[in-house]
Amino acid sequence: MSTVMKTTRDVKGIGLSIPRPDGPDKVTGQVQYVADLNPRGLLHAKLLRSPHAHAKIVRIDVSRARALPGVRAVLTAADIPVLKKKAPTRAHAVLAIDRVVFAGQPVAAVAADEPAIAEEALDLIDVQYEVLPVAADPLESMKPGAPPVAELGTEADTSEAQAHGSVAGVTTEVKSSKAVNISQQARLQRGDVAKAFAESDVVIENTYRVPMVHQGYLEPHAVLAQWDTAGNLTLWASTQGSFNTRSEVADVLELPENRIKVIPMECGGGFGGKIRALCEPITAVLARATNRPVRYVMTRREELEAGMPAPQVIIKLKTGVKRDGTLMALEAEAILESGAFSGAVLAVAGVFLASLYLWPHFDVKGFEVLTHKPSIAAYRAPVAPQTIFAIDSQMEQIARKLGVDPVEFRLRHLQREGDKMANNQPWLSNGGVEVLTRLAEHPFWKKRAEWKASAKDGKLRGTGLSLGGWLGGLQPTGATVRLNPDGTLQVLTGQVDIAGTNIALAQIAATAYGVDIDKVKITTGDTDVAPLTGLSAGSKTTYTVGVAVMQAAQNARNQTLEIAAKELEASVHDLEIDGDRVVVRGVPDKGVTLASIGKKGNLYMSKVEPVLGASHPAFSVQAPAFCGQLARIEVDPDTGEVTLHNFVVVQDVGKAINPAQIEGQMQGGAVQSLGMALTEALMYDDKARLTNPSLLDYRKLTAADLPNIETIIVEKPAPHGPFGARGVGEPPIVPAPAAIANAIEDATGVRLTHLPLSPERIALAIASAS
Amino acid sequence: MRRFELVLPGSLDECVKALAQAPADSKLLAGGTDLLPQLKNGLLKPACVIDLSGIPRLRSIEAGNGQGLRVGSAVTARTLELDRAVRANYLSLAESGALVGSVQVRNLATLGGNICNAAPSADMAPPLLALDAEAVITGPKGERRVPIAAFFTGVRRTVLAPDELLVELAIPNPGSHSGGSYLRHTPRRELDIAVVGVASQLTLANGRCAKARIALAAVAPVPVRATAAEQALEGQAVTPDLIKRAADLAVEAARPISDQRGSADFRRHLVRVLTRRTLTTALARAGA
Ligand SMILES: Cc1cc2nc3c(=O)[nH]c(=O)nc-3n(C[C@H](O)[C@H](O)[C@H](O)COP(=O)(O)OP(=O)(O)OC[C@H]3O[C@@H](n4cnc5c(N)ncnc54)[C@H](O)[C@@H]3O)c2cc1C
Repeated sequence: MSTVMKTTRDVKGIGLSIPRPDGPDKVTGQVQYVADLNPRGLLHAKLLRSPHAHAKIVRIDVSRARALPGVRAVLTAADIPVLKKKAPTRAHAVLAIDRVVFAGQPVAAVAADEPAIAEEALDLIDVQYEVLPVAADPLESMKPGAPPVAELGTEADTSEAQAHGSVAGVTTEVKSSKAVNISQQARLQRGDVAKAFAESDVVIENTYRVPMVHQGYLEPHAVLAQWDTAGNLTLWASTQGSFNTRSEVADVLELPENRIKVIPMECGGGFGGKIRALCEPITAVLARATNRPVRYVMTRREELEAGMPAPQVIIKLKTGVKRDGTLMALEAEAILESGAFSGAVLAVAGVFLASLYLWPHFDVKGFEVLTHKPSIAAYRAPVAPQTIFAIDSQMEQIARKLGVDPVEFRLRHLQREGDKMANNQPWLSNGGVEVLTRLAEHPFWKKRAEWKASAKDGKLRGTGLSLGGWLGGLQPTGATVRLNPDGTLQVLTGQVDIAGTNIALAQIAATAYGVDIDKVKITTGDTDVAPLTGLSAGSKTTYTVGVAVMQAAQNARNQTLEIAAKELEASVHDLEIDGDRVVVRGVPDKGVTLASIGKKGNLYMSKVEPVLGASHPAFSVQAPAFCGQLARIEVDPDTGEVTLHNFVVVQDVGKAINPAQIEGQMQGGAVQSLGMALTEALMYDDKARLTNPSLLDYRKLTAADLPNIETIIVEKPAPHGPFGARGVGEPPIVPAPAAIANAIEDATGVRLTHLPLSPERIALAIASAS
Repeated sequence: MRRFELVLPGSLDECVKALAQAPADSKLLAGGTDLLPQLKNGLLKPACVIDLSGIPRLRSIEAGNGQGLRVGSAVTARTLELDRAVRANYLSLAESGALVGSVQVRNLATLGGNICNAAPSADMAPPLLALDAEAVITGPKGERRVPIAAFFTGVRRTVLAPDELLVELAIPNPGSHSGGSYLRHTPRRELDIAVVGVASQLTLANGRCAKARIALAAVAPVPVRATAAEQALEGQAVTPDLIKRAADLAVEAARPISDQRGSADFRRHLVRVLTRRTLTTALARAGA
C-alpha cells in the first residue's frame, strides 16, 4: 500500500515537521478539557472508596448524607439494579455490592451542587465493614488456599489482549482448579529444554521484578454525563477510544449503543490507562438519578490509589548457552499481577521472552494472578518493558560472561524477518537489526571505555544499551474525505488524537489527494457522526487510520478527477492536480479549479455529485517496530544516586510522516521508560494499601533528572503502512530499564534485577559487594 | 476539600485574638504547601483557617540583638536560599532552603511552616538545630522562647499550644571561624522528600574544633542531634579519620524506621555518608 502519488510537484505533506495545530491552545491553557465544561445545572460527583483491600460490607447507611443541603443524590449498589455480583470487568463493578476487593474501590456515590458539599456528604455515609484476609503478594496469592479475589465463576478478561491485537496463536487457558486466584495461564514450548540445558556450558538464572507503575497522564480520568428527555445519554469523555467507551457503558448499563453519544474531549494523556471505562458508568447513573448534568473528575490521589496501573511482573528466567555463544535453552515463568480483575496481556510476555532472540529450545509459562489491589490496564507497550528488561539484562550478562561484544552477541541471535516467533507466527519485516546497528555506531558506544576511565572524585561511570520493541496493533477503522465548495478538504475520523496523530493524518490526506497541508482540516467526530473506529492504542493510529485516510483521500481524488474529466472533456489519466486546480498534463492553461468542482457538488439543481471519499479498511498484517536506547551514566557509589549524562534513542519508524512529532514520541517514551527504570513504583503494605499515594512519593522523573535526549530516526518501510509508516508510540518506552541496568553494571560491577533501580538498591548492593 | 471559614488578620495582635476566639481545630496558613494537601486529602478538616499573609512582621529578616539573626516565621525558603545575610553566616540554612520542593514551592513554603508542620524530614530543621536557634512564640499569655531542639515533641507535634503561633527564629551568629553544611538524599533531584538529611556546623579555635553540631533529619520522630559524634570532635584537631569516626558515631543517634522512602538500613548508611560529607565541607568552610 506504500503507493507513490502522481502529482506534478511535491505537495506540502509527508515528511515535514509541521507543528500540531492544537499546540498553541494547549500551552496557553485555551483547550477545554472535561473539567472545564460548565453546563447549566451542573452537579459534581464524588465517590466513597473503601479503606480496606478486602472486606465484607455489612451495612451502609446513607441517610445522613442524603439529608445534607445541596446533596442531590447518594447511591449505593442497591440503587442500581443492573449491577451483577460476578462483574467480569472493572467497569461492571460500578459500586461494590457486598464485598470490596481492593482499597479504593467505590462503595457509594454522591452528586451535589458543589464538590465540597459532595465531599462532606461522603463523611456522613456510614459503612460497616467486616475486614477479610488479604491477598497482597502475587506469589502467595497464586497458591491454593489464598483468600479469593474474584467471585467464583467469574471469567478471565482477555479483551485487553485482543484490543492490542498483538499476539496470535497463543492458547491462554482460563482458570485452573485449586489456585483460585490464577485467572489465566499460558505456555509456549519448543524442543527439549532439559537436554539443551544439559548440553549448555553457561547457565544463568535470575528473578526479575517490575512493580506496578502508573501511566501518569497529566489529566486525570474525567467525564460529564447528561441525559435528554428522550432517554439518550451524552458523555463528554477523556478517553482513548470513544466507541469503546460507548460499548462498555452500553454493556454495563444495558442500553442500546445508539442511545449513547460519546463526545471525545481533548485527552490529556492516556498511555493505555484510558482504554477501559472507569468512572463513566457511575457518572451516567448519577446523572439519570438527578436528571442533571453530572461531572466527575478523579483526584490525583484517587488516580494512584484506584486507577488502572500496569501489572507487577515477576519473571524467573533461566538461560543456557554454549561457550561459543550458541543459544541453547530458555526457561521462564512469568507472573503478571493483575489486581482485582483479570485483564493482563499474558501472551505478549511469553512471545517477547522467547522470540526476540532465537532460542532453539524453550519453555515459557505465564500466569495471571489476581490480588486485592486495583485492577490493571495497558500501559504503553503493555508488558514489553518488563519482559525486555528481563531478556535483555540476561543477554548482556551472558555476553559479559562469555567475554564477547554485547552488541555482536545480540545481533548474532536477534530475530530476522521470517524467523519463527515462539507462537510459531513468522516475524514480519522489521528494523531490529538496523536499529541496533545504528545505535552501536554512536560515538557514546564506541567510546564507552574512555567514558568509564574518565570517572573522578570517587564516582563511577558506565554505558549501557538495550533493544526493545512492539509488535504493533491492528483494528478496523474508517475515514471520510470531503471536498468543500471552496476547494478545501474536510477529513473526518472518530479516532481520538492522544499523540498529535491528527496532523500526521492531515499530512497523509494532503499527499494522497494532491494538495498542500494548509488546504486540509481534520476533525475528530463523536460516536453519532464519525465512522466506527478503534482505540488510540497499540501504536496503530497512523498505521491503520492513516491507511483509511489515505484511501479515502485517494477515493476523493478519483471522484474529483472524474468530474473534472467530464468538464474538460479529457481522459482521467491525463489529469493531475496542480495547486488548487485540476489540469490536463502538459496543457497547463486547460484546467478547472477544485473550488468550482466543490461548488457544483453543492449547487441548487446541480447534477454533479458532491465529492465524498470514504474508506473503512480492516487489517491483517502488523508492523513490528524496534527502538534502541543508550545511556551514559555516573553513579555515586556511596549514595547510589545515578546521574544521566546522555541518552540516545534510535527508532525504526518505517517512514517519518512528521519527524518532529515522532521525536516527541521518542523523547516522551524514553522519559517514561527512564522513570520505570529509576524511580517509579506503586508501593503497598502487607494489607495491600498504597503507601505512596501522591506524586511526591510516586516519583515520576522531572526535567531536573533528565539529560538531553538525542533522537535518531531509522526508516525501514513497513510494506503495508501508509507511505511505509510504522507505529511509533509504544517502542520508546521499552528499552531504558535494561539499558540503565546494563550501564550500572558497566559502572559498578553490580547487577540489579529488581526495578526501580533506586539509589537504595544500588548503594546497598555496592556496599555488600565490597 | 471541605468548606471552612477564612480569617485574615492584619497584625500579630489581631492574629493572637483570632486564634483565641477560633475553634481548637483551627489551622494557621502560611505558604499552604503542607496545609493544603492535608486539607485536600481530608487528613484535616478544620472549620476555620487563619491566613498569616497579612502580617508583614512575620516576613522580615533582621539583625538580632547582639549579632545574630531574627528570621520571621513566614520568610520563604526561596528568600533563605538567596538572602545575603543568611548565605554569609548561616549557609547550611540557605542550603536547606534551596533544597525544598521546586522554585514554585520555595516561593510559597515558609520556614515557620516547615518547622510547625514538624515532619521528621523537614529540611530546614537540622540547620536550625546545628545553629542553636531559638523559637520565639507568642500567644494570649505573651511571648516565650524555646530552644529549637526542644520545639519538636513528636511526628507533626510541637510545643505550640492551640492558641499560640511561631513568630520568628532567633539564630546566634556562629562567628567567623565557623562553617556549616546541609546535605540530604532524595531519589529524585527535585520535588522530593529527604530520606535522610544531615546538617553539620564546626567552629574552630587555634586549629582545633571548639564547637561541633550535627543534626539529623528523617531518622527519628523528631530532628535529632548526634551528640556523641559532636563530643568526639570537640577539642580535637579535625582529621579525615576523626570525621570518619564521628560519622560512625552519628549513626548511633539515628533511630530510623523503614517506610516507602527508604529502609532503616539505608538510612543508617546515609547518615554515615552524609555526616562525613557535611563535616568535610563544614571544616573547609570554617577554615576559609
Ligand atoms: C511539592 C512539594 C515539595 C515539598 N518539598 C519539600 C522539601 O523538599 N523539604 C521539606 O522540608 N518540605 C517540603 N515540602 C513541604 C512544605 O513545602 C514545607 O514543609 C514548607 O516549608 C511548609 O511551609 P508552608 O508555609 O507552606 O506551611 P503551611 O502549609 O502554610 O503550614 C504548615 C503547618 O504549619 C503551621 N504553621 C504555619 N505557620 C505557622 C506559624 N507561624 N505558627 C504556628 N503554626 C504555623 C500550619 O498551621 C500548618 O499546620 C514540600 C511540599 C510540597 C507540596
